[in-house]
Amino acid sequence: MGNLILALILGAFFGFALNKAGLTKYNKIVNVFRFTDMAVLQFMMTALVVAMIGLYGLRALGVLEFPNIPGTYIVGNVIGGLIFGIGMALTGY
Amino acid sequence: MKAILNYIRKETWSPYVAGILMGLVGIMAVWLSDSLLGASGAFENLVGMIGQAFVPEAFDNMYFNFIMPPGITYGVMMLVGLFFGGLIGAATSGTLKWGKKDAANSDEQWKRIFGPQTWKRWLLAFLGAIVLEYAAGIAGGCTSGLAISGGMLLAPAAFLFIAAMFASGILTALIVYRRRY
Repeated sequence: MGNLILALILGAFFGFALNKAGLTKYNKIVNVFRFTDMAVLQFMMTALVVAMIGLYGLRALGVLEFPNIPGTYIVGNVIGGLIFGIGMALTGY
Repeated sequence: MKAILNYIRKETWSPYVAGILMGLVGIMAVWLSDSLLGASGAFENLVGMIGQAFVPEAFDNMYFNFIMPPGITYGVMMLVGLFFGGLIGAATSGTLKWGKKDAANSDEQWKRIFGPQTWKRWLLAFLGAIVLEYAAGIAGGCTSGLAISGGMLLAPAAFLFIAAMFASGILTALIVYRRRY
């Protein structure tokens, strides 16, 4: 139960960050594919770098353990990604 | 303090600042709840719940029994939080268009490309979202669930997914925009 409430709060911060980065707008998402607005990449890569450093640092300190990492199915990941890109460019998700 | 409050009220943050917040949320998710962030899986949990209530035999398969168990999961709660987080974000920047004139279709760029009709926007968003959700099911996650959450753990799957997503996204944008690309 506590975990579910935590998910709600984390989700709210997640949505807040997305909204403030403008990633809830169609034009932001599609323009990254037109190379006219790199906000999506800037946002994603910053998030990745911050989280990588934090997570690997905290693991090295023994504070946390990693959950199961998403499995690698090369064909599935690539085909899924290819179809996903179509939907993303059309919808602006 | 005032400067921070004023920054929160800004409509669009620097993507770097928002990205830092996102990264911290990702760390917190792993640290506090031993889970990864995600958005697309929640729809499958919900669909599984509805499906098992009405057509149980159609939903009695590997996918819904083991990979995406139906019910109010962590992901579903996160999705609810996402919605309200976005709402709060828009409210703080004063761009919440609840009930206002062009609230359903306010994107100028969209109107320039596809025309001003709202139903078109909704139809394409709906169809595009089906494609998205289906693809997320194949790949094992979406932009948040696989690309960001997997990427921050350096999962190879995430980087394969990001590369494929951009390749086809660029191609689709090229086709949609043609000479206006």
